[in-house]
Amino acid sequence: MEQKNTLTEPVKYDLSFAREIYSLENGYYIKQCMQCGMCAVACSTREIMDYSPRQLFNLIKLGKKEEVLSANTFWYCTSCCTCKARCPRGVPLVDVMHDLKKYAIEQGYDQYPQAAFYKAFWAEVAGRGKVFEGGVTARYYLIRGLDEVKKALAMKDVGMNMLKHKRLPLLPPKKVRGLGDLKKIIHKAQELQRKEARA
Amino acid sequence: MEKKIGVYICTGCGIGDALDIEALSKVAAGEYKVDICKTNNFLCGKEGVELIKKDIEAEGVNTVVIAGCSSRVNYDVFNFGSDKIVERVNLREQVIWCHPANDEDTQMLAEDNLRMGLAKQKNMNLPEPYLVEDMSKAILVVGGGLTGLTAALDAARAGYKTVLVEKEAELGGYAGKMYKQVPLKPPFTELEENCIPGLIKAVQDAGVKIYTSATIEKTAGAPGMFNVTIKQNDSTVQERVGAIVLATGAKPYDPEKLAHLGYGKYENVITQAALEEMAAAGKLEAGKVAFIQCAGSRDQEHLPYCSAACCIESMKQALYIKEKNPEASVYVYYKDIRANGQYEHFYKKAQQEGIIFIKADVTDISEEDGKLTIEADDHTMGTKSIADEFDLVVLANGMVPTAALGEVVQLNEPAEEEAAAASDEPKVELPPVIKANLLNLDYRQGPELPPLKYGFPDSHYICFPYETRRTGIYAAGVVRAPMDMLSAVEDATGAALKAIQCVEATAKGEAVHPRSGDLSYPEFNMTRCTQCKRCTEECPFGAINEDEKANPLPNPTRCRRCGTCMGACPERIISFKNYSVPMIGNMVKAIEVPEELEEKPRILVFACENDAIPALDMAGINRLQYNPWVRIIPVRCLGSLNLVWVNDAMAKGFDGVLLMGCKHGDDYQCHFIKGSELAEYRLSKVSETLDRLGLESERVRAITVSIMDYDKIPEILDKFAEDLEELGPNPMKDFQ
Amino acid sequence: MSGLTAAVEAAEVGCEVYIVEKNPYLGGKVTQINQYFPKLCPPNCGLEINFQRIKKNPRIHFFTMAEVEEISGQEGNYEVSVKINPRYVNENCTGCGKCVEACPAERANAFNYGLDKTKAIYLPHEFAFPMKYVIDDQSCQGAGCGKCAEVCEYQAIDLSMQPKNVKLNVGAIIWATGWEPYDATKLSYYGFGRYDNVITNVMMERLAAPNGPTKGKIVRPSDGKEINSVAFIQCAGSRDENHLHCCSSVCCLASLKHATYVREQYPDAKICIYYIDIRARGKYEDFFTKVQEEANITLIKGKAGEVKEDPSTKELVVIAEDQEAQKVREEKFDLVVLATGMAPSTAASKVPADVSYDEDGFLISDSGIYAAGCVKHPLDVASAVRDATATALKAIHSTVRGQQ
Repeated sequence: MEQKNTLTEPVKYDLSFAREIYSLENGYYIKQCMQCGMCAVACSTREIMDYSPRQLFNLIKLGKKEEVLSANTFWYCTSCCTCKARCPRGVPLVDVMHDLKKYAIEQGYDQYPQAAFYKAFWAEVAGRGKVFEGGVTARYYLIRGLDEVKKALAMKDVGMNMLKHKRLPLLPPKKVRGLGDLKKIIHKAQELQRKEARA
Repeated sequence: MEKKIGVYICTGCGIGDALDIEALSKVAAGEYKVDICKTNNFLCGKEGVELIKKDIEAEGVNTVVIAGCSSRVNYDVFNFGSDKIVERVNLREQVIWCHPANDEDTQMLAEDNLRMGLAKQKNMNLPEPYLVEDMSKAILVVGGGLTGLTAALDAARAGYKTVLVEKEAELGGYAGKMYKQVPLKPPFTELEENCIPGLIKAVQDAGVKIYTSATIEKTAGAPGMFNVTIKQNDSTVQERVGAIVLATGAKPYDPEKLAHLGYGKYENVITQAALEEMAAAGKLEAGKVAFIQCAGSRDQEHLPYCSAACCIESMKQALYIKEKNPEASVYVYYKDIRANGQYEHFYKKAQQEGIIFIKADVTDISEEDGKLTIEADDHTMGTKSIADEFDLVVLANGMVPTAALGEVVQLNEPAEEEAAAASDEPKVELPPVIKANLLNLDYRQGPELPPLKYGFPDSHYICFPYETRRTGIYAAGVVRAPMDMLSAVEDATGAALKAIQCVEATAKGEAVHPRSGDLSYPEFNMTRCTQCKRCTEECPFGAINEDEKANPLPNPTRCRRCGTCMGACPERIISFKNYSVPMIGNMVKAIEVPEELEEKPRILVFACENDAIPALDMAGINRLQYNPWVRIIPVRCLGSLNLVWVNDAMAKGFDGVLLMGCKHGDDYQCHFIKGSELAEYRLSKVSETLDRLGLESERVRAITVSIMDYDKIPEILDKFAEDLEELGPNPMKDFQ
Repeated sequence: MSGLTAAVEAAEVGCEVYIVEKNPYLGGKVTQINQYFPKLCPPNCGLEINFQRIKKNPRIHFFTMAEVEEISGQEGNYEVSVKINPRYVNENCTGCGKCVEACPAERANAFNYGLDKTKAIYLPHEFAFPMKYVIDDQSCQGAGCGKCAEVCEYQAIDLSMQPKNVKLNVGAIIWATGWEPYDATKLSYYGFGRYDNVITNVMMERLAAPNGPTKGKIVRPSDGKEINSVAFIQCAGSRDENHLHCCSSVCCLASLKHATYVREQYPDAKICIYYIDIRARGKYEDFFTKVQEEANITLIKGKAGEVKEDPSTKELVVIAEDQEAQKVREEKFDLVVLATGMAPSTAASKVPADVSYDEDGFLISDSGIYAAGCVKHPLDVASAVRDATATALKAIHSTVRGQQ
C-alpha cells in the first residue's frame, strides 16, 4: 500500500502547469482542495495508485507536470464516485480525472493500456454512435501494438465463451440514425468545452 | 438594630424522622434563649413561609434562623426583604443525608450546626452600602484603535459620558492603516472596506470626548472616582471617571528578531504591516509573493502562542495581490491554517482565487538579483521544496500586547525581602508588574494591570473572561489576548458593558463579580493597626493603598469583598458588618467539644463557599456517608481565614482543622485569585506555633477540592479522621 | 451559558431580564461538559457562581421547559408569547427524591446522551438549577399509576398539569439557543450508530464525567471493558460541504482535552488524533503544546476516511492517509471518538420572527433581535461568554433607542 513517491530532489514549485490544469473543464475545483486526504481512503483502487488524488492535486499545485501526467492515478479511477460524494470541499474528483485523462492523451502521455482503451472506446462511440465490443477490442489491440495481440489470443477462450453465451455479438450493430448530427453535436460540445475552460 | 430572633426548624424531607427535633428546639429556646422557636414539617411550603411572615409582622422578628435545607436552595422562598437577617442552618444536605438517622452523633452534629447558626447571627449586622462622594459614571477608554473606538461608541450609545485617549495624533490604530479588512459578516468571503473612518465619525457624533496625542500620566482613585491625569502635548488635563476600558492593542512582533527569515537582510522580506501600507498607498505591484505564517508565533524561541489573526490576515493580503494582479503567483507557507468558525469560507475563497497554501516549515530564504528563494520542508508531499523568483516575502509576524512592553518590576522591596528571609518567615510574593506606561495606576501593587502569561492582562477564567484583578478596569481586544478583528469588536462591546455595570454597581455601593450585589465592605479599626502591610500586599485586587507610614488606605469601591485582608490581619482590625473574625470565632466556640473520655473527636472544617460547600452539599444529595465528627464552617474564601480561628479551635480541644479551598497555582480556580494559597502560607506559620504547644502540625491541614470532587469527600474526611485517631486526642481537650 | 451570561450581565447593569429555557434546568450544554479546556476545570464551578448571581438578583426571572412561540412588535417594544410545557412537578418540590424510589417507569437519559437510564420522574442532574424534579411525559405511565404523587408529602406532583402561556413585553431579545452536536449518523463511513464503540465527543464528556453513566470511567460502550487505544477523528461533519460548511472552532481543543482524560486513566493507551489542521488559536496553543508533551499523543495529518468494525471483537479499524508518511494507514482501536461539530440550534428550529441565517443556519444578529454565542458563530466557552456579554450591551442599546 506504500504509495509511490519519486520526489527525491527538492520540489521546485511552478505555477504554470497548475494554471494549465486549472483551466480544464473541472480543473478549477482542484484549487479548492484543502489536502485532507478523504479521497485517498474513499478510493476503491487506492492500493494500486501511484499517487492518491490528494497527492496528485498537490503535485499539480506544485507544478510537477512529468509526475502528474505519467501517474496512473486517473487511469485507475473507476468512476465509482465515492470520492466525489465524500469530498468535503465539493471537488468533483471523477470529472477532474476525466479531464486529466483527456489532457494526458493530448500531451502524449498515453502509455497506459487504459489510455488505449479510452481512445478505442471513444473512437468507437464517435464513429458509430454506439459501442461494438468487437470494434473496441480490435481498436484497442491495434493501438497497443503487436505484442498485445498475443495477449489477446491468449484470451480467446474467454472470447469464445462470451460469444457462445451471446455476451459478445459477432457482428457490429447498425450505426445510429443521424450519425452526422451526432458528430455535429460532439463537435459543438468540444468547441464549447475549449471555449469555456479557457475563459 | 435590636435583634428579635425567630428560629424555625423544618422537619420535612426526613429531618423530623432522623433527628430529635425537641432536643434541637431546646438548643435554641433553652441554651440560646431565642425569642421564638417553631417547627414546621414543610417550611418552604406556603404555610411554613406564612408562619415566618406572621411572626415578622406580629412579633417583630427581624432575624430569621432557618434550620432545614442548604442555602443553595429555596433562596427565593426565604427572602423576607433586605432589612431582615436570614441565616440558614444546614440540617439536610450536610446532616441527615450523609449521616445515619436517629444516631447520637448525627444529633450532636445537627445541634452544633444550629449553635453555629445562632452564634453567627449574633455577630451579623445589616450592611450599609459604601457610597462614593462626587460619583462619576463616565467611562474612560484607553486606546483609539478598532477595539477602543468600538468600546467608546458602545458606552456612549448606552447613554454614558465617554472619554477616549489615544497616544497617536490620529485615531484608528493598527486597523486604521489597513487597505481593506477581513470579512466580519456572512458570507465571510468578501473583503470589506475599512470600517475605521466610519467608526471614528460615529464616535465623534456620539459625543465622545476625544484626546489624541495623549497619554495617561496617572490614574488615581477607584471605581466611581478615578482621577485620571491625561497628558496631551505639553499640558495635562484631569478627568474623573467611573470605570476604564483598556484597549491599547498590540504591536507586531519585532521583525528584527526574524533574521533567520531574511528580515533585515533582504529588502523585499517585509512584515504584514508594511504590506498594508503598500496596499493602502496603491504601491502593491508584485508578480510572485510568498507569505510565511507563524513568523515568530508558535515558536518557543519567539512567541510561544499563536497570534490568532495572522492566517486570515494573510489570506486577505494575498487577495490584495490577486486583486491588483490576477496573474500573480501567491504562496502561503503554513503550519496549520487556522481559519476558525465561518472563516473556513474565507479560506476556500482564497484558494478559489488561486492562492497556493503549502503546509511546510521554511528552512531558508536567500536572494539573488533582488529575487527571493524559499527552501522548505513540504509536509503534505513529504519532501524538501524550493521556490524562487519571489518579488516579495511577507512575514506574518504576529502580535505582542502593549501591556507586555516595558520593564518588568518586582514590587517586593529588597529590604523587606531580606528581612523576611532573615526572620525565616514565609513571605507573600507579589506578582511582577510590567511598567508598560498605559494606565500608570497609583496603586500600592503596581502601575498596570497584572499580567498573566506572556504579558497579556487577561482573565484567568473561562466562565468569566472579564474577571479583572483591578476592579473597574477591563482589558479588551488584542491587549488582552491574541484575537482577530471579529473577536476584538465583540470584546470591546463586552468590556464596555462590564465598565457600565461596574459604575452602576458602585453607585449603589454594591460589589461586582463574583460577589455581585454584596453591600458589605471591610472596615478598618485603625487605632490598632501596626502597619505590618499584610493587607496591602495580600489584597488580590490591589484595593488597599498605603500612606508613607505604611498605614493602609482602603478603597472600598475597588474591593471585591473576599475578606483576604481580614484573614491577613494579625491584629484582627478588619471586619465586615456581616462577616468578621469574632463572628467565625464565636461559631467555633459555639461547638460543643466532648471530653476525651467520650471518645468523640471533633474536626473543624473551614470550607470555601464557592466550591467546597457545594461539593459537600453534592455529597449529601448523592447520600454519600462520612464520619460525623466534622463541623463545617463556610468562609467567603479561604483567603479570609484568620489564624486566630485555628488557634481558637486547637485551644478548644478540636482534634484537627481542615481547610478546604480551591485549586491554586498556574491553573488556579480560586475566585479571589490566591485565597487558598494564602491560607496555606498562613498555615505554614501556624505549624511552628503548634509544635511549640506540643501539638502535632499534622492536625491542621489544607487541601484543595473542586466542586466535582464530591465523590472524594467521604474519603478525604474519613482519612483525616483516621490520621487524627493515630495521633490521639488533642491534649488541650480537657483544659478548656 | 451564553443566555445565562447575557441575562446575568444585563441584570447586573440594572435591566429586568426574562430567561426562557427549553430544558427543565438552566446552564445548557456546558452542564454536560466534564472539564473545560485549557484549565481542565469543571463547568459547574462557574455555573454555581452564575446561579448565585441569579439567586441574589431580583431582576432576573426565568422560565424552564419553556419556548418562544411568537414574537411581534419592533425594537424597543416586543410582545413575546412563551409556552411553558408541563413539568408535572410544582414549586412545592423540596428535592427530597422520594418520588424516584416509587416510580416504576424508566427513560433513556438524554443528559447522558442515552448512555444510561433514569426513572420517568427524575432530577436532570445533581447540580440542576432549579433543583426540582421533572416528569418525562413520554415515559410516565400517567395518572393511572400515580405512585409518585402518593409518596410525595408535599403535594408537589400534578399529573394533570397543562401547558401555560405567558406574554412578555420586552425592549430587546437575545436569542442564545446555542448548538446541537451534528448528527453523526449522517457520516455513514464512520459507522456511528452501527458500531457500538464509535462515540461522539459529547458522549466522551459524559463518559469521563464523575456524574456520568460510568461514574467517570472511560470504557468501551460495547462491553464496559477498559481501553488500550483510542482514535479521535477531527472534522467529523465540520469543514465539509456535505455537512457543516464551517469549522466548529472547538473540536481540536476538545479532542486534545479528551486525550488528557484518557491519558489520566490509561497511562499506556495509544491515543491518535486524525486531523486536517490543528486549530488551537491564540493562547490555546499552550494547551496544544502541553498535551503533545504530556499526554504522548500521536497526531496524524490526514482526515480519517473510514472506520470498519470487526464484528467478533468489536474492535475498530481507522483508515486514513498519513500525509507525513505518504501512505494509507489502517490502525486498530478499541474506541473511536468522532469530533462532531456544532450545528446551530437554528438549523433545525427557527426564530419565530423575521430574521436571517447564514448558509449553515447560524442566526445573523440584527437590531432588536440579537444572536449571542454559538447560535451565531461556533465558539469556545470563553468566547461565547464574551460574545454574550457584548450582546447584553447591544440589547441595552435597543432599550435606550426604544425610549428615545
